[in-house]
Amino acid sequence: MSEVQKDKAARKDKKTSRVPSEGSHGVKHTAGKTKDSLSNVSCIEEHHDALVVTLENTYQMGPRKRFPTPAILAILKDVLPSYLEEEKYEVEWSRQMSKTLCEVIRARMKELMIRRYKIVVLVHIGQLAGQSMQISSRCLWDPATDTFASWSFKNTSLYCVASVYAVYFE
Amino acid sequence: MDEGGEDESIETTIGTSSYQHFRVNQWSTTIVEQCLSQLCKLGKPFKYIVTCVIMQNNGAGLQTASSCYWDNATDGNCAIKWENKSMCCIVSVFGLAV
Repeated sequence: MSEVQKDKAARKDKKTSRVPSEGSHGVKHTAGKTKDSLSNVSCIEEHHDALVVTLENTYQMGPRKRFPTPAILAILKDVLPSYLEEEKYEVEWSRQMSKTLCEVIRARMKELMIRRYKIVVLVHIGQLAGQSMQISSRCLWDPATDTFASWSFKNTSLYCVASVYAVYFE
Repeated sequence: MDEGGEDESIETTIGTSSYQHFRVNQWSTTIVEQCLSQLCKLGKPFKYIVTCVIMQNNGAGLQTASSCYWDNATDGNCAIKWENKSMCCIVSVFGLAV
């Protein structure tokens, strides 16, 4: 603002007296004439030492591509029999195998490269001993974007139920 | 707070019962829905997944594992095991931040 006023004052001075006056408005006038009116303040570059990643807003309202449920089923149908066919239930082995299956299924889901989806994998391995059981689940989510799939496998000594939930990260 | 809610749902639904195959579907639905409604009342910006496993107690073994691809800073889970003479019940809750 002050620069604009200075420029106006300089122009007025030019109209009234053609000789550049150094006496009356000397300081301002010479400042307006000799130096550029553009600011010479260069952009200050701040060097960020901390590993802070600031993400820009994507303005994305929903997923570009919904998580394909048939792909999840295909992964489960492929993984469960390949790891559990011809296996026998043993306590330590099934504990390790349930963790392994979880990790394998999660890795295969990540390979699908569907962006902005969080994944939850649940695997139950149980011994076949004539008992009855019920597994149920309920979810509080957005049914337009989130999905799940489950598959069960059985052989002579064990059964396995795997459930995968894919939740969109808004 | 979460664990208290889950324990309460299990106790009120199947606390004094013994395993009955024709009722187990209704029990598991009730437990899960009660848990979910209590989580809803917390009013936090989370999506929830509640799972319930009810199994008859006859000496058979069961292993459960879960693996999640999420943000460790904001998301989490909780699992509760409850047992009586005739059955055992495992309820797990996963909370994912929006």
